[in-house]
Amino acid sequence: MLAERVRPVAASRTRLLPVLPPIAALLPDGGLRRGTVVRCTGTAAPSLAMAVAAGPSAAGSWCATVGLEEMGVLAAAGYGLDLERLAVVRAATAEWAVAAAVLVDGIDLLVLSPPRHARPAAARTLAARARERGAVVLVVEDRPAFPAELELVVETAQWHGLAEGTGRLRSRRVTVMAHGRGSAVRPLRQELWLPTATGKVAAA
Amino acid sequence: MSGSLLPRLLLVECPAPGAPHGDDGGEHLRRFGEVVEALSAVCPWVDAVRPGVCTLPIKGPTRYFGTEEAVLARVAETVAVTTAVTTAVTTAVTTRLGVAEGVFAAALAARSGTVVPAGETVRFLAPWPVDELGDPELADVLVRLGLSTLGRFAEVPAADVLARFGATGVRGHRLARGLDGELPGYRVAGTGARLVAVLGHALALQDRQRGFWGGSSAADERAGEVLTALGRRLGTDAVTVPALQGGRGPADRCRLVPWSPAAAPVAPAPGQRASRRRAVPDPPWPGRLPPPAPARVAATERSVEVVDGVGARVGVSARGLLTAVPARLSIEGGPWSTLIAWSAPWPLEERWWSTARRRAARLQVLTADGTARLLVTERGRWRVEATYD
Repeated sequence: MLAERVRPVAASRTRLLPVLPPIAALLPDGGLRRGTVVRCTGTAAPSLAMAVAAGPSAAGSWCATVGLEEMGVLAAAGYGLDLERLAVVRAATAEWAVAAAVLVDGIDLLVLSPPRHARPAAARTLAARARERGAVVLVVEDRPAFPAELELVVETAQWHGLAEGTGRLRSRRVTVMAHGRGSAVRPLRQELWLPTATGKVAAA
Repeated sequence: MSGSLLPRLLLVECPAPGAPHGDDGGEHLRRFGEVVEALSAVCPWVDAVRPGVCTLPIKGPTRYFGTEEAVLARVAETVAVTTAVTTAVTTAVTTRLGVAEGVFAAALAARSGTVVPAGETVRFLAPWPVDELGDPELADVLVRLGLSTLGRFAEVPAADVLARFGATGVRGHRLARGLDGELPGYRVAGTGARLVAVLGHALALQDRQRGFWGGSSAADERAGEVLTALGRRLGTDAVTVPALQGGRGPADRCRLVPWSPAAAPVAPAPGQRASRRRAVPDPPWPGRLPPPAPARVAATERSVEVVDGVGARVGVSARGLLTAVPARLSIEGGPWSTLIAWSAPWPLEERWWSTARRRAARLQVLTADGTARLLVTERGRWRVEATYD
């Protein structure tokens, strides 16, 4: 349709970015709704964000990170992110908002770890821009501060495979709770292997 | 102000002939729709901003047609042919073209038929009167303060603008400084849908245009534009893409290399997986850490102290064994954390053929708070190499 050609992001009929099946169980719509902010918190939040981003990435969406220069790219690839459509952006604290705003203009999925004292106004501006552009912002933070439509909280996490002086880290079992506004008012819980022994995500 | 964040746009304006606001039964909109349809064959990223105005990013087509002049000539010709066919009997439509960064500047450029050189948009905007910001009240205040042009207004420190001129002032100021590209209210939402309705047919452009630019998809093209723009703004080292390579540790195995449009992914030909950046997918490196890989790889060196139950330092012997049972660790002199599990050391002797050989060992540790880390010891000192966040 011409309408889609001329305004591809905003007018796209595909309002949901697909996610991997174990993640879909956590999302009220079964996918990431374009134009929304999703927050990941808890100990395994960086891994959870990668697992959430893996679905859209594998389906061809571009993914960019801001404030996550230390992201383990091997782990990201393990969860299923397409490294050929991944950009890692290093922005000074003063420039994170600019970087994020530019990225949501042309990239479907922004994984953002905002600075500790990010201004609420900057967060709202970014959320509005993502809404307008149809991008999804995945926020990784310890302390919930960023306004989000949906929050994914890693409630418990337990590593398996490592003992006293023997074995190695093999897999981690986590409980993730999802809650938010609108269709996500009723909390959803899901037990996951994050990661599995082969570095993927799976329902436990 | 160095470089603009905004995409360089070619703006095409097809004003309605005769009475600009007269109701011509959708005739003008239909003609405009035909122009947009024809332009979509030149570039797949035509954006119908409002009835009579559309833009296209000029970078992609320039790569295809060779020069910006060639793109402009092609667009002008396309528009002329289309409008000549559709308006053969009635008055000729005067079409205006302009090139600049952002819709706002491109519209002003079209008004004077200007091609603003790349990076010169802010300078181009400077002499235009503040009335162009479309807010008479704001313009009035600015003129009274002697800030009659966009250039003068742009010189006001950003911090003062909000306090003095409010939110509309901030928007105008950002436009004047080339930070925002579009006047609020300029875009008419749903224009694309109206064009489809008025043309009366859905246009199957998708297949023809997929892979238009030598195979990369439209999404790749668009992502490339923003990454390039961001690189100009933050410095090219700030925008990186991963490159996997051979190596044993997580830090060795992944390198971030500066983004360059030339390294952009190319959609694979049927039956073939393109992997330009994935240089070495899975070489058999001895001593490599088994999966799963850590979620966070330390970018800066953080030292760790590992001690046994009586507070004595734990090391790795020449035979690759721990010298004592580790009990606690402290990162960068921080609080002690109790160890609940740890691996045997992975001896790591790299470059054994070289005199500058490096003897090191890795250790996975799990502290009572549930955090798993990968430590490295070298010359008697421990550091955090990665965290399994």
